[in-house]
This record gives sequence, C-alpha cells and structure tokens, in this order.
Amino acid sequence: MAQDSGTRTLISHAQLRRGRGKVIYWTLLAVVVVVFTLVFLGPLYWMVTGALKSGQEIAQTPPTLFPKDPQPQNYVDAWHNLDLAKLLFNTFYYAAGAVAFQLVFDTAAAYSLSKLRPVFGNAILGLMLTTLMIPAMVLIVPQYVTVIDLPILHLNLLDSPFAIWLPLVANAFNIFLLKRFFDSIPEDLMAAALMDGATPLRTLWSIILPMSRPILGVVSIFAVTAVWKDFLWPKLVMPHPETRTVSVGIYAFSGGTPMNVVVAASVIAAIPTVIVFLIFQRNIMSGLTTGSLKG
Amino acid sequence: MSVPQYRKAAALALVAGLGLSLTACSTKSDDASNEAGGKVTITVDCQPVGSQKELLQNWNDDVAEFQRQNPDIVIKSVSVGEQCNNPPDFTARLAGGTVTDVFYGYMTDLAQVLDSGQAMDITQYATKDTIPTWDSIDPALKEVFSDGGKLYAVPVKNYSMGLVYNKVLFQQAGLDVNNPPKTWPEVRAAAKKIAALGNGIAGYAEYSAGNTGGWHFTSLLYSQGGQVLTADGKKADFNNAMGKQVLQNLKDMRYGDNSMGSRQLLQWGDLLTNAAAGKVGMFIGAPDTTQAIVSQFQGKFQDWAMGPLPGQDGPAKATLGGGEGYFFKKGLTPEQVKAGLKWIAYQKLTPGKGQFDYVRSKPQNYPVGLPQPLLFANGSEAQKQELELRKANANVDTANFAIFEANPVPIKGEPRNAQAIYAVLDAAMSGVLTNPNANIDALLKTAEDKVNQLLAAES
Amino acid sequence: MTLTTLPGATRKPGRPPAPPGPLPTGLGRKVRDNLTGHAFLIGAVLCFVVFSWYPMIRGVVMSFQRTRRGETTWVGWDNYARIIDDPSFWTAWKNTFYFTVLALVLGYAVPFFVAILLNEFRHAKGYLRILVYLPVMLPPASALFLFKYYAYDPSEAGLFNAILKALHLPTSQWMQSPEMTMPAMVIASTWMNMGSAVLIYLAALQNIPGELYEAAELDGAGIWRRIRHVTIPQTRLILALLAMLQIVATMQLFIEPLILANGAGAQDSATSVAYLIYQHGFFQNDLNGAAALGVIMLVVLAGFSAVYVRLTAKQD
Repeated sequence: MAQDSGTRTLISHAQLRRGRGKVIYWTLLAVVVVVFTLVFLGPLYWMVTGALKSGQEIAQTPPTLFPKDPQPQNYVDAWHNLDLAKLLFNTFYYAAGAVAFQLVFDTAAAYSLSKLRPVFGNAILGLMLTTLMIPAMVLIVPQYVTVIDLPILHLNLLDSPFAIWLPLVANAFNIFLLKRFFDSIPEDLMAAALMDGATPLRTLWSIILPMSRPILGVVSIFAVTAVWKDFLWPKLVMPHPETRTVSVGIYAFSGGTPMNVVVAASVIAAIPTVIVFLIFQRNIMSGLTTGSLKG
Repeated sequence: MSVPQYRKAAALALVAGLGLSLTACSTKSDDASNEAGGKVTITVDCQPVGSQKELLQNWNDDVAEFQRQNPDIVIKSVSVGEQCNNPPDFTARLAGGTVTDVFYGYMTDLAQVLDSGQAMDITQYATKDTIPTWDSIDPALKEVFSDGGKLYAVPVKNYSMGLVYNKVLFQQAGLDVNNPPKTWPEVRAAAKKIAALGNGIAGYAEYSAGNTGGWHFTSLLYSQGGQVLTADGKKADFNNAMGKQVLQNLKDMRYGDNSMGSRQLLQWGDLLTNAAAGKVGMFIGAPDTTQAIVSQFQGKFQDWAMGPLPGQDGPAKATLGGGEGYFFKKGLTPEQVKAGLKWIAYQKLTPGKGQFDYVRSKPQNYPVGLPQPLLFANGSEAQKQELELRKANANVDTANFAIFEANPVPIKGEPRNAQAIYAVLDAAMSGVLTNPNANIDALLKTAEDKVNQLLAAES
Repeated sequence: MTLTTLPGATRKPGRPPAPPGPLPTGLGRKVRDNLTGHAFLIGAVLCFVVFSWYPMIRGVVMSFQRTRRGETTWVGWDNYARIIDDPSFWTAWKNTFYFTVLALVLGYAVPFFVAILLNEFRHAKGYLRILVYLPVMLPPASALFLFKYYAYDPSEAGLFNAILKALHLPTSQWMQSPEMTMPAMVIASTWMNMGSAVLIYLAALQNIPGELYEAAELDGAGIWRRIRHVTIPQTRLILALLAMLQIVATMQLFIEPLILANGAGAQDSATSVAYLIYQHGFFQNDLNGAAALGVIMLVVLAGFSAVYVRLTAKQD
C-alpha cells in the first residue's frame, strides 16, 4: 500500500507535477491536512484539556482554549472513583479471552469445514452464514434469557466472562474468512503431510497455521474491536460493577459524577487503545483492509 | 493410528465442553451461602461507591464492628453503583437472579420484585427479636413493602420532597433566605430574579430525562392536588387542569421568563452537578439531595436550605414521598434471613449506630440534622432517641430545614408501575422544556394514551 | 477404523474430492469415520446452537408468550398488538429510518469521497489515514461523552456553538432541539465510525487498474466523469456491500440516543427501535414485548435484504 506511487490513480502524476496542477495539489493537500487535523485531533485536544478545567471554567462563555487553572485532580478522581484500573483490566481480559476462544474454535471449525469434509458441512456453513443477516439487536432479548439460564445445563453466565466469550465464538464472518483462506491452501500440501503420517491436528498446527498468520491477525483484531466497541451486551450480562467493561463502567458512573471527571475518565479509557493503535497501526490497517476485502 | 486420533478427538471435545463446565464453577462460587465452620455468610448490596469516600469508610467500619459483635456472621458487601437501583441494571439483576442475598430496592419496586419471583416472605422473621426497633417503625412503611399481608422488605429510608434552594443566590438576588416561595407563582417570580444574575444561572431547574422527569412531574402534580392514576389504578389521571398547570408553570419559566437555564434534558446527576457548581437557584427534591450535592458533587452544605413543596395558590396539596428498603432473596436459610435482619437492624435501624451514628458523621463532610430518614413512627421510643441524637450532633444549621419541617405536607406514594410511567412522562417534560411552541394539551394527551396502553397491557 | 479418516486426502490433489468410495451406511458411521473433522467443528457449532440458532427460535417463541410471576402462558399475538399500539412504536421507526437515511447521506458518501481524496495524495498519506482512523479506536462511550458534554452543550460555552458564534452563524440547541437531535447524532456517529469505511474504500480504490483512468482521460473525460465512469463502477460491489452493512448497523441505533440524548431525547426525538427494545425489556419488565419488537425488526431488515439482493442481482 505504501509503495503504490507507481500506480496510476484518478489523476495522473504528470498532471499533478505540471504548473497549475501542482499549485492546486499542494493547496488542497495543505487544506486537507489542516482540516483533518482540526476535525479529528481537535475534539481529542478539547477532550484532554477540557477535562483539566474546573466546573466553572467549562461553563464559561466563550470557552477557553487552554485551561487557565489546570485541575489534574479531575484525572486523579476519575482514576480512583471509577476504579478505572479494574475496568480497563476487565476489558483487556475479555478481549484477550475473546481472541483465544475465537482463534481456537473458529479456526478449528473453519479448518474442518474447509479440509476435513464433515457430514452436512455445507449445510452447517450455510446455517452459520444466515446468522450474518440477523442483527445483534434482534437477538438481544432471547440471547440474554439464554445466558441467564443455559438450556439443559441451567447455568447462569451473568457476570461470568464466558457470557462474552462464548457468544463471540458464534461468529460466522470469522469462520467464513478463515475457511476462504484455508480453501486457498493447495491440497497438495495436505496430501504430502498425510503421506508423512501427520494427523489432521498436526497438519493444522505445523503447516496451515504458519501460513495463515495474516488472516489470524485479522480475526484477532476483529475479536478485540468487537469486545472494545460493544456496549449493550456487556452492559446486560456484566451488571456487577466489579465485572463491567470500561465503556459500561463510565456510562454507569456518569449519572453521579461531575461532568469533567466523566470526560477525564473517557480520556484515560481511550489512552491504551490509542497507544496500541499508534504502535501497530501499519499492521492493523493493512490487516483490516485485506481482511474485509476478502470477505 | 486410530488410537491417538481418538485421543485427540476426545481432547478436543473436552476443550469444547470445558468452556461450559468452567463457567459452572465460576458461577457457583457466587452464592457463597454455605455455613462453613458454623458461620453464616450473606451478601448485601448498595455498599457506597468509591467516590463517596466517607460513606464507604463508614459502611466498612460498620461491617467490621458488626462482625466483631456477631462472630458467626460474615457480611459480603457489594456495590452496585451510585444509584443502588438503576432500573435497567436492577431489572437485569432480578431477571438474571444475580441479586445479592439481601438486596436494595425502592418502595415502588415491590410489584416487579414479586413478578420476578426473587423475593422471600419474611413476615415471620421480622420481629422485635431480630430488629429491636421493629415496633417503632412507622407501620405505613411496612405496609408499602407488604403484599397480601406478607412482608417482603424492611424499610430503611423514607423521604418526601420539598423546595431546595441556594441561599447564596437568594441573597445575591435580593430575596429573603428565610422566606422561600410558597406558591408556584412565587417560585416563578423568584426564579426570574435569580436568573437575572446572569452567568448561566438557572432560577429553577427541572429534570426531563432518564425517568427522573416523570418522577418530578408526579411530585409537581401532587402539589396541585392531582394524581397520576385513578384510584383503581386502571387509567391515567393527569390529563386535566392540574396536569396542564404543572406544564404551564414550567413553560412560563422556561420560555416566558427564560429563567430555567439553557441546558435541559437533565437527569439525576446532571442537575445536582449544576447545583453544586452554583448554577441553580431552586429545584424540588428530598432533603438528602443536599447531601449528594456536598458529598458527590463538591458543593457546600451551608449554601442550601429547604422549604415545603409549593402549591398553586397556597401550600402544596400533597408531596411525593418514597423510600427504600432491603428485600431478601428467595431460598435463603432461616439463619441467613436472621443474619440479614440483624445487619439491617444494626446498620439502618438503630439510633446511634450505622446511618444514625451522628457522632461519627458530625465531623465528616456529611450532614447531620436533615429531617430524614423519617423511619420511626411519631411518638415512638426510637424516634425520640433519634431526634435527640440528631439535635445534639447537628453539624448543619437545622434552621435550614426548619421551614420544611414546620410545614409538613401530606405525603403520597409513587404510582404503580412507576418507572414505565415516568419514562412516558419524560417526553411531556422534555416537550415543555425544549420546545418554545410546545402544545401542552397535545403532550398530555399523548402521555395519557401511552400510560393507558401501558396499564391495559399490564392487566 | 480405516487407515485414514480424511476423505480426499489420498486422492488426486487439487480437485474437490468425491464422497469416499463405497458409502458406509448410517450417519453415525460417517461421523465415526471422520472423528477429528467433527471434533474440530463441535466447539463452534455448540456456540452457534446455544447463542445463535436456539435464541433465534426462542425469540419467536417468546414473542407469543407472556411471563408473569414466574408463570409462562401462550398469548397469541397479544405482545405484537401491545407493541404496535404503543405510540412510541411509530415514533421509534420514524426516528430510526430518519437516522438511517441521514447516515447514508453523510456516513456513506463522505467516507467514499474522503477515500478518493486520500488516494490522490502522494504526501502525508500515512498521517491522514491515522487521523481518520483514530476515533474508531476510542471506546464509544468516551467519544459520545465528549460530544454530549463539550460539543453539543446548548449554551454558548459549548464547542460547536462557540465556533458557530465566532463565525457569526446562528447557534443551535443541539440535542435539546428535536430538529437537530438526529443530525447531531449522525455527526457524532459518523465521526466515530467513518475510519473503517475509509480504509475499506481505500483498499478498493487501489485495486482499480490505472489503465482504465488512462483510457478515460484519453477519451477526454474530466475528473467527475472519470469518477462516475471508472471509480464508481469499479468499486460497485464493495459500495453495495457497505451500503447494506451500514443500513443494518444504523437500524440498530442504540448507544447514541442512550448517551447523547439520555434515552428518549427532546420530545421523543431520539427514541430508536433498539432503544425501545431495551426500554420494554429492561425498564418495563416486559421481555416478551421486547422479543416481539425484535422479531418485527428482523422482518423489516429481511425485507430490506430482499430488496437489496433484488437490486444487486439486476445490475449484474
């Protein structure tokens, strides 16, 4: 993606290098850089500095660009009063578990569907894919009722991380992505491995998986973002303050916490992922685009 | 060849099953109700949250002291948020059966709790033996938590609403701090003067979101002499002159005088945050809202005073009262119920202890002297003790509440199915507070239709 | 047990395997013969059964039942009648459709043109791409509280109103004005989410062969015509797919009204169908009504999908 300067796009390179084209190009680039910075970074700046203002200052007209009398206490209060350490830990824990569960079960299932030809394989895949058409909101009530009293087992998964992990395994999109990828791995490789007496598990482990790193990365990113962005489901199945995710926790406290402390908490909650994103942005973005295009 | 394969398959199936069996363990550990080593363990919710530092400290001290006095009882405290009963979470806990052994609820929650099948009949356990002050507790409060002659919860707090006002702003606006408005037209006039101070100050502030709008509408309606539902509870009864007057008063202040501030769609914490920041002249609320302003929203206690709820052209006809109590989860052993009652008796119902430990509260940033929680019946022994202790340790000027106390207004409870009705009434409140051209008749008609439908669906 | 349980493995590679030789009779036999294959599948299938397929059926069943005091009875269409009679029902659908349409205009077209623009730049590409994607990384509650408290403050202390005032434009009541509620929610939602769409479009744009543009240019096509005749047709599939995904996503509008509008918003202007499901299920102690509303939502979306399939099929 980075070295595509050679490919031709909407407007030719030549045109952009010529006199008028060049001026327009550089003006437009400058405008876009400034506007995008204002639109996308501006609010974040406002958020970070706004949370440093006092309650009085935030209600001032016109608003101040820099906090006159910075109140780092807002951040300290947010950290302690909302127990953000706990909320962030929970969120990471759920995300890590979601990755592990999806990698194990979805990869195994996709491998089986792609290479091991189970009975009714196509029917099962078809049934899985139909769930893609069903929005989460439609299932929220029956899913919730199921989770509080699992059929046959009569377990209650509320406040248990499995209430987040297991439903995420039922992710047809991931299975589809993985299966498509496995389909593209030539049968020769499999056959060769089997000749050598390798079991299917061994083949998966030492041949398929090493080749599938990019797609596994994509599935992992999807798993993490799903946990990170989800709100209503964790709000319903993790009602206990000790088990809440960070989004739900901030929302739950917003009713009884001063505005600036809520925003300070929002800032702190955003820091870890923003850092992770900035470090791995290249991998994340290329993974996301290839992953979603393949689907 | 086939043997290792079998093993692998079995291993995989195991892994698949493991997820489910693991959860079995993890949920089991929740109900740690077993009497290990002769000890009775109970879980109790509504422990104060971290931002309520002193309250939390007091609670934890109470637990420690209680366990010292009752070495065979273990109290496990659970905090469920600032508002111990936030409707969707409460519903989720009830539906999911994850309520604690002893769980907090509003007086209006009885029907929902019974519907969920989670509550236990505690009639035979709630006696003088388990709760020494039981006979002093206002029988009306016990009645609220009873259904068909059976008691399901122990009341621990009771309140009624009045007019809370900011003395500093009153002074600045040239109003008499010892003579708060007694009627809605007086409130309107005072609000206008306070709003004239500028600086984004609202003369009078009101809720209109998150079900709190409907809650306050109910109180305002009671002040007019109205009621939300007909006596048989089958029809809405607010689409009338009284309901219109409620909304008209608000509309006049909001858009006629522009004295309610620009920020609307407030819910519980929003209004109190503004109030603590000195941006609100008056609002209606229970005495303990001042406590929340101080302990959670960094306001100052001496700024606030309280008068009775105003009426339209004289004292209010009635005011909204409500309260809280602790329910007991179905399936507890008699020992657990008794332990729970003992704990509640100690922490909530003993003058000089727990919530009545005024000696402890006095030096804290926690008001003593509020005319609350009004648990004990008039003339009862406990009431006298509590009153003496309160007077002896008051750290707030009891004069601030003297007008409120000296002018009692008849108390009316919340309607059946309150939360669902409040959600409907929110729209009427947000209508007059956010739309200068709101049609009050249409708003009330819509709300009436919705409430009637809701009631029809209930039966 | 035969030597291998992998049908096809011993066959000529590269071709889809035929069913293994002489068919063993009975399903149980087949399963036993390919134990590993089924063992690998079982974990995911169990999760689908419990958390997806079964709830689907259960949702429909629940919508015809009513549970009171622990007793469940069949009530026919009562739940549907109750839900549809609720005046909020139509308001919620109206609001949801309005949001969907607005979000299509803003949240769908804007990322496409942003992607086209970014694709033309030879400089600062990485920086711009990071900027656009950054809001996606915020927890949704964080971003929405920023909008609620700072951007949409109805007084002139609010960020947006301060900007409007500085530009001598009329200020707005934002979430407190029923007319602005939906546009304001769409703005916040687009800001939060557009990054993913931009990235997907960018990838699609990079797959367009450069010769097509060259040929169009030789024919004398200007920029707009090149976009219309090359860019859009070339990305049609992904455009159509994202349109569908976006409609499904926006129809489930929930967290924006919940946080920005404290639920229903000014005069019910923010109530969405998803919020109504939540209200019924978790405020009004009416899970059965909520299930019925879920089924109605499913039917509406299925209708949409059918239309979508029809339309895309025609174009091919």
